Amino acid sequence: MKYKSFVYPYLIWMVLLVIIPFLFMALLSFSKSTGLSFDSLEFSLENVKKISETVYYKAILNSLLYGGIATIICLLIGYPVAYVLAFSKFKYKTLALVLIIVPTWSNMLLRIIAWEKLFLPNSILNSIGISLDLIGTPLAVIIGMVSIYLPFMIFPIYTVLEKIDTSLIEASSDLGLTPFKTFLKVTLPLSTSGIISGIIMTFLPSATAFALPARLSGGKLQLIGNIIETQFKTSFNYNFGSLISLVVVIVILIMLSIIYRVDSKGETLL
Amino acid sequence: MKKIPKVLIVVFAFALLYLPIIVIGILSFNSSQVGSNFGTITARWYTEIFANSSLSGAIVNTLIVAFVSTIISTIAGTLIAIGIYSFRNSSRNRLLLLNNFPVVNADISTAITLMIIFSLLGLRFGFTTMLLSHIFFSIPFVILSVAPRLRELDKDLLDAAIDLGCNKFQALYKVLIPSIRTGIITGGLIAFTMSIDDFVISWFNTGNGFDNFSIWIYARLGRKTFSPSAYAYNSLVTIITIAGLVIYNLKTVRRLKK
Repeated sequence: MKYKSFVYPYLIWMVLLVIIPFLFMALLSFSKSTGLSFDSLEFSLENVKKISETVYYKAILNSLLYGGIATIICLLIGYPVAYVLAFSKFKYKTLALVLIIVPTWSNMLLRIIAWEKLFLPNSILNSIGISLDLIGTPLAVIIGMVSIYLPFMIFPIYTVLEKIDTSLIEASSDLGLTPFKTFLKVTLPLSTSGIISGIIMTFLPSATAFALPARLSGGKLQLIGNIIETQFKTSFNYNFGSLISLVVVIVILIMLSIIYRVDSKGETLL
Repeated sequence: MKKIPKVLIVVFAFALLYLPIIVIGILSFNSSQVGSNFGTITARWYTEIFANSSLSGAIVNTLIVAFVSTIISTIAGTLIAIGIYSFRNSSRNRLLLLNNFPVVNADISTAITLMIIFSLLGLRFGFTTMLLSHIFFSIPFVILSVAPRLRELDKDLLDAAIDLGCNKFQALYKVLIPSIRTGIITGGLIAFTMSIDDFVISWFNTGNGFDNFSIWIYARLGRKTFSPSAYAYNSLVTIITIAGLVIYNLKTVRRLKK
C-alpha cells in the first residue's frame, strides 16, 4: 500500500496536541508563573515541596487505594462474567454482551447521582422501609466505582477468552488435567493480555475520577482528580496542577509500555 | 463451572450495572424534584425536557458536537489507519503505540494537556475547543477499529486494482474502503457514543457558556436549578437504544435459525 503520506498530518497533530503540551506541563511544574504565560516564568521548586503536604500526598495514596480496591473487585466479578459469556452457548449471548455496554451510554454523572440518591439516609428506598445511609463511607465510593467501570474490565477479558481455541482446553482435559488445573494452566495464562488491559482500563479512570468520589463521599474524600480539578478550575494554580498531572502522565506511560508488551496491536483496548 | 454460580455471578454483575439505570428511570417519574422521597408518579419531567431551554440547548450542543466530531474523526481515522498500514512492521507498531497513548491516557490528563495547548494557541474556549478535543480523543478509537480489518486484507487486492487500471485514489475508494467498511462503521459508532458521553474532557475544554449535557448536569449538582428532566431525557435514550438492540438481535437470531 502506498498511502504513507496520510500519516504525516497525524504526526504533526499528535506532536502539537500531546508532546508540546506535555513539555510545557513539565516546564510549568518546576516553575512559578502567572497563569499560562511565559513572561513571568521563573524556575522554582515550590510545587515539589507542596506535594509533600498532607492533603496532597494523602490524595495520591487514596487514589491508589480506592482505584486499587475497585479494580480488584472488578476483576473478581468481571473475569467470571467474561468467562461465562465467552464459553456459553446461550442463544442470546451477543445481546447479553451488548447489554453490558448499554449502561455506559447512560450519562455517567446521572449514574453517580442515582447511587448518591440511593445511599442518602432519606431516599426513595424509605417507601419500602430501607435507609442505606452509606454516603461518606468508603463502601459507597467503591460500589459506585465498580458499577461504573466494570464493563471496562469485562470487555478486554472477553475479547481474549473468545479467541482461545477450545481444542486446547479439550486437549488438556484429554491429557488428564482436572477442569480447575486446565483453567490454571491453559485458560488463565492465555487470557493474561486481556486481564492486564482490563486492570489498566479500570484502574486509571477510577483512580483519577473526581465527580464520583466527591459525590459519594459527601465531599469528604479527595482523590488526585479532585486536586487537579481544583488547581485548574478553582484556584488557577497551573504550576502545581501541572506537577500533579505530570505524576499521572508518568504512571500512564508506564502502563502503556506494559500494554505494548502484552498486546502490541491494541486488540484488547476497544 | 456449575450452572447456578454461573447464572448468579452474571445476574449480580447485571444488577450492579442496571441498578443506577433503574433508579434514574424511577426518578424520572417521581414528582419530588430533589428525589429524596417518592412523591407521586408524574410525566411532568418528560414534557418539560424541551420547555427547559438551558437543558434542551445543552442536549442540542451535545448532538451537534457528536455528529460533527464523528464525521471528521471517522474520515480522518480511516485515512490515517490506511496510512499506518502502508508502513512496514516496526514503524507500523511504533505508530500504533503512539496511537494507543490517548486511548490508555486518563481523561483528566488528556483534558489538561488539551487545555494547556489550546490556551497557548490563544483559542477562544467554547464550541471550537470542545469540538477539537472530541475529534482528538475519537480518532484513535476509529484507527483501532479499522486496524483489524486492514490486517485481514489481502495484500494483492490493491495491486490487482491498480493493475486493472485504477489510479491510487480510485483504488482507495472503490476497493480499499468498501472492504474495510465494517471497521469504519464500528469506529464511527464508538466515536459517536464516546462524544455523547464525555464529561471530563469537555468540562476542561469548554468556556463562554457553551454547555453539553454532562456539563449542564455537573454545574447543577445539588442545586435547585437541576431539573429531573435530565433523568427523563436519559431514560428516554436508554429505552430507545435497548429496544432497538433487542429487536435487532431477535431478528438476527431468528434469521440464523432459518
